[in-house]
Amino acid sequence: MRNQKLRGAARAQEGDALGEAGTAGAGPGPHRDVIALDSVSRSYTVGGGTVTALTDVSLRIASGELVVILGPSGSGKSTLLNLIGALDVPTSGTITIAGRRIDGASRADLFRYRRESVSFVFQTFNLFPTLTALENVEFGAEVAGGRDRDRARRALVDVGLADRLHHFPGQLSGGEQQRVAIARALVTGNPILLADEPTGELDFHTGVQILGLLGEHAAAGRTVVVVTHNREIARAADRVVELSSGRVVADGPPPGGPTDVRELRW
Amino acid sequence: MTRLLRWSWRDLRARWVQVVAIAFIVALGSGTYSGLSSTSAWRRLSYDASYRQLRVDDIHVTLSDGSFVDAATLAAAARSIPQPGRIRAAQPRLLVPTQVDASTANRTILVPGRIVGAPIVGGAAGVDLQAAKAGRVLRAGDSSAPTATIDYHFAHHFALPAAGSVTVSGNHRLAYVGQVLQPEYFVITGNQGNLLAEADYAVLFTSLAQAQSLAGRPGAANELVVAVAPGADVPRVEQDLRTTLEARFPDVGVKVQARRADRDYRSLYDDIANDQRFYDIFAILILAAAAFAAFNLTGRMVEAQRREIGIGMALGVPPRRLAVRPLLAGVEIAVLGVVLGIGMGALLGYLMGSVLRGFVPLPVWRLPFQAGTFARGAALGLLIPIAATIYPVWRAVRVAPVDAIRTGALTARGRVPLLARIPLPGRTTEQLPFRNLLRAPRRTVTTVLGIAAAITVLIGVVGMTDSFFATIDRADQELLKSSPRRLSVDLASFVPVASATVTGIRQSPVVAGSATDLRLGGTLRNGTAHVDTLLQLIDLRHGIWTPTIEHARPAGGLPGIVISAKAAHDLGTSPGGVVTLRHPQRTGVTSYRYVQSKVRVIGITPLPTRYVAFMDLRSASIMGLTGITNTMVVVPRSGVSTGAAERALFGQPGVASVQPVQGYTDSVRHELARILDILLIVEGAVLLLALLIAFNSASINADERARDHATMFAFGLPVPRVIRMAVTESAVMGVLGTALGVVLGWLLLGWLISDLLPRAYPDLGIVSHIAPRTLATAAGVGVLAVAMAPLLTIRKLRAMDIPSTLRVVE
Ligand SMILES: Nc1ncnc2c1ncn2[C@@H]1O[C@H](COP(=O)(O)OP(=O)(O)OP(=O)(O)O)[C@@H](O)[C@H]1O
Ligand SMILES: [Mg+2]
Repeated sequence: MRNQKLRGAARAQEGDALGEAGTAGAGPGPHRDVIALDSVSRSYTVGGGTVTALTDVSLRIASGELVVILGPSGSGKSTLLNLIGALDVPTSGTITIAGRRIDGASRADLFRYRRESVSFVFQTFNLFPTLTALENVEFGAEVAGGRDRDRARRALVDVGLADRLHHFPGQLSGGEQQRVAIARALVTGNPILLADEPTGELDFHTGVQILGLLGEHAAAGRTVVVVTHNREIARAADRVVELSSGRVVADGPPPGGPTDVRELRW
Repeated sequence: MTRLLRWSWRDLRARWVQVVAIAFIVALGSGTYSGLSSTSAWRRLSYDASYRQLRVDDIHVTLSDGSFVDAATLAAAARSIPQPGRIRAAQPRLLVPTQVDASTANRTILVPGRIVGAPIVGGAAGVDLQAAKAGRVLRAGDSSAPTATIDYHFAHHFALPAAGSVTVSGNHRLAYVGQVLQPEYFVITGNQGNLLAEADYAVLFTSLAQAQSLAGRPGAANELVVAVAPGADVPRVEQDLRTTLEARFPDVGVKVQARRADRDYRSLYDDIANDQRFYDIFAILILAAAAFAAFNLTGRMVEAQRREIGIGMALGVPPRRLAVRPLLAGVEIAVLGVVLGIGMGALLGYLMGSVLRGFVPLPVWRLPFQAGTFARGAALGLLIPIAATIYPVWRAVRVAPVDAIRTGALTARGRVPLLARIPLPGRTTEQLPFRNLLRAPRRTVTTVLGIAAAITVLIGVVGMTDSFFATIDRADQELLKSSPRRLSVDLASFVPVASATVTGIRQSPVVAGSATDLRLGGTLRNGTAHVDTLLQLIDLRHGIWTPTIEHARPAGGLPGIVISAKAAHDLGTSPGGVVTLRHPQRTGVTSYRYVQSKVRVIGITPLPTRYVAFMDLRSASIMGLTGITNTMVVVPRSGVSTGAAERALFGQPGVASVQPVQGYTDSVRHELARILDILLIVEGAVLLLALLIAFNSASINADERARDHATMFAFGLPVPRVIRMAVTESAVMGVLGTALGVVLGWLLLGWLISDLLPRAYPDLGIVSHIAPRTLATAAGVGVLAVAMAPLLTIRKLRAMDIPSTLRVVE
């Protein structure tokens, strides 16, 4: 059911990418192209030289899609995610989210965008060390406008931390912290979820559980972008975008088509 | 080693703002110590040099009041001691008490004073020479004309011209040719004990011949100053002089005293030690605050390195070697602080030097760099931050490696303080500031203590100023509560109340009302304790002005006395207690003897000086002085200015001095001027200290929360919200620190005033008082500045590189 819908969206996306490249202004429909990157590059000046993290990346992601960004370390995955999440600005190119350009948007707009449109799972968790697991998740809910203790509790139960509600991050294992971070992002209810290596610290069983959860959210209409260097995880996605040295080298459904998370092995 | 140095230097550079702030705090502490303490050495050196340059006498001989002998005979008698070669110079002098009218075109200046007549001998043969601050000193030719020099303190206080003229008793016009310093008058003591009195006491120096002619006593002397030859034993000469002079003038009271035993001379040197005690305390307090600040920062730096220390320990590096890097940081802060401290000390010393020069004008001021003092200050400045580093380092290397490696530095040991469990209401963003405080209680406590230390010093130092002013205000209020325009008219001698002198004053056209009182010296004793007093006998019930009597008790048949709180304290008595009063009793028309009477303390006067005491005029009977007066209180007629009344009464026969009643508080104000000026300088340093500490804790906080802030930004929490949280967190610490600081400051002030001040100012009873303005300043610095300090980080927050801040793995 879900896979069909998402696959359809993905195909439409591919079609756009092939047929209408460079015509971002043409106005994609509301259900398509929630995220649109056009010729986005990002480079850093370090010392005397420049490090290029992303080169001429064009990408469209439709709403409800579960996209995996795959690539070796240093290939620019996190950079791409940061750009989509408006934590970073491109050196050149344009980024359009839900029809609105975010490169060059005002600070206030960017803050509102981050508050209302995206939510992050960081590669380094970044939980508040002085708040408990539950409070960290509540924070996510509150910022996005809700203040529902039960929802926060349910989000933690969903990630399998029902018995860790009142633990502080320092008392949690890496994987547990990661799941709190995921719950904090999910509970915002924002339409776009950006997850940087969300299963990096997880064992197989938990990892599958989390992926399943992300899949459910995608099925419910949220756009989920997951960064990983794990090809096995990529198999569960609707679509895999592969990066290498800052360039998109492949974009399409995983080889053999999307696989059910229960069949993954790593 | 160089790698380690470079590493720790990089640690410091990463936090250079805090490092510089702490170095400044250390500098303030060590600089205050070195700068203030240097002045002690400077004063000692300068006093010595000034006394030497002006060839101060070693021994002075005074004849009892009203006695005169032939000048030449007196000098010859002195030189008749065994081995007269021990005397380098012996100078007979004539001291004449007088009224001095130095009024200028727009100011009435009428003060008591004295004319000091001495032979004009300069150079090596001289003794008690003068140094001109303006105009010139007396020359040999000045003996033949009524020419004088005037004491610099008085002239300077009233901004008199370098040369001019004054009128002295007997309506003599006396020209002066210069404003001078003379070693006996480096400090000016008035009629009323050891209060500084340059505002109301004028000393004029003239030739012996001129003084004799002004006093109408040709050839007479009533004082002798002696300088001993180099190498002679002063106490022996003193003893021999006493024996010789007592034998030579058996019917005249002769008092022989070494200069070193002189009260003014001693007070100059004693004050050095007393002031040094204050400096030490100020410096120690500031250094204590610096220690907290250093402890805070190095603790934080060690905390940040905890992981690396853990890795090192896991790799088997001995803790000693791991401790070197953070310890080096402590040393580097200390060195930077000490270097800055030398500059700070030099600046403070410079400021203090100019205050001192203004306060104790001397012919010679020597202000050499005090290497030893600065070395001690540097040692303190080095030791304190290093000591503050040792504890956190020691703690860090004792942690089990497994704990050190865990992420989340704050909770590395997985233990959660009980406080952190306290449930808090409100949204998580509202809770976060409090959670942060509760979750890291040690950090919170050290920050709060740092703020408290600064506020304690602020309250202690400024509170002292407040207390002084409160004391003066209280005195003003008491004295001026009724008939504020009244004048105190001292008569030249005891006269019957019906005498022409009194009647003349009463009937003067400028006088609306008057009272005849008595003022005499006495001593109160209780057991072994004794207090010199200036007794004022007035009509306690219906006088023109009557003292407020606190804790009043009935006299119960004994003569009653109202004394100051300080006197009661020093005597160990309280209202209702009975003490012994040694007082003069009239035995004939001009003869008196001292007797002792039991008197009852019937209350306490709010006046702060120890020596004030009041008795009812009816008690004059025990002194045999019923119907006799020597001082009057006069209220000028309305429409007559106090100045005009002063001038008119000054011209009346039998009047020794006329002073407005405010004169008393002016003299108290003067007495306190020395410490007030020092306090002002220290206040500046303390304010800077408090601000630095406030800024530092905010900036440490901002750095520490950078990651949290980046996360909030990623979640779209706007900068103002994030700042508000930081402000809340700072404000809570500010409130706690300030509250604690105010309490500790109050205790400190109490201690300073009850323990330290009495040694420096035995004659004053200061009540501790903290002005609302001071509390406002404390709140302003401790709460407002601390709370607002995060605003300084707005720019840094706005420019934050969010991805980089988020990416760093702790
Ligand atoms: N602030 C920066 N300054 C300089 N170079 C940077 C910065 N941020 C990223 N880079 C560089 O950009 C490149 C891409 O970084 P990015 O973090 O996107 O990699 P990644 O694909 O997420 O790697 P990993 O899988 O290890 O997380 C890297 O070579 C990195 O060194
Ligand atoms: Mg990455």
